[in-house]
Amino acid sequence: MLKNRVKEMRARHSLTQSDLGKQVDVTRQTIAFIEKGEFSPSITLSLKLAKALQVDVNELFWLEGDEYNEK
Amino acid sequence: MKNDFRLKYPLWMMAFIVLLAIIAYSLDSPVVEYVNNSNETSMEMTIEPAKGIVLLVSLVLYFTLLAIFLLQLKKYNRQNPTQKISAISIRPPEYLEQDEGMTYITRKAVQKVYTYITWALPILATIAIILPLSKLYIIYGILAVALGQYLIFYFEIRKHVKEETE
Repeated sequence: MLKNRVKEMRARHSLTQSDLGKQVDVTRQTIAFIEKGEFSPSITLSLKLAKALQVDVNELFWLEGDEYNEK
Repeated sequence: MKNDFRLKYPLWMMAFIVLLAIIAYSLDSPVVEYVNNSNETSMEMTIEPAKGIVLLVSLVLYFTLLAIFLLQLKKYNRQNPTQKISAISIRPPEYLEQDEGMTYITRKAVQKVYTYITWALPILATIAIILPLSKLYIIYGILAVALGQYLIFYFEIRKHVKEETE
């Protein structure tokens, strides 16, 4: 299962779901689905999110059980 | 999003289906005599007074609802020029596909509807074959299946849209 810290990073940049959605050209609902882990974004959207949140995509998304990110 | 016309579209369709069921009840087999020969072509229709009133009221309601629906559709199209909905489109307008997240929840809802249809239609056909049902009950069965499909789609999409938080 894909885990993420989109919510954490978004809060760090003081962005709302709508703000982030506008930056990566998706709806607020899609950002909410990703944050809840309900939906795994495509590689393109993952890269866009990482760019918007100024982090490496590996820091934003990782597979469950990945020790480095789950610390 | 919660006020998106496409989210409410299944509710409109359900309302039309209910009215159609009422119209079907009041208009059940009205043709009492049909003549078609070399001398004459005629048809005689009879509607009971009580059913006539029901028919009149339901037709007025149906066309009023249709007018409101078309106005809402026009309003939505004016506000969303890039995602216009056509009233006569073959593709169901309730599909939410503006991005991959919305496409995902639409796919989940459509999968549930497909599963439902896969079971509902053969069950309906079996019931219609086995039981001595009148034409009206078979029409009710078809309308119930259609109503169920919109109900499943609506609640599935609503569940996802309602759960999301800012």
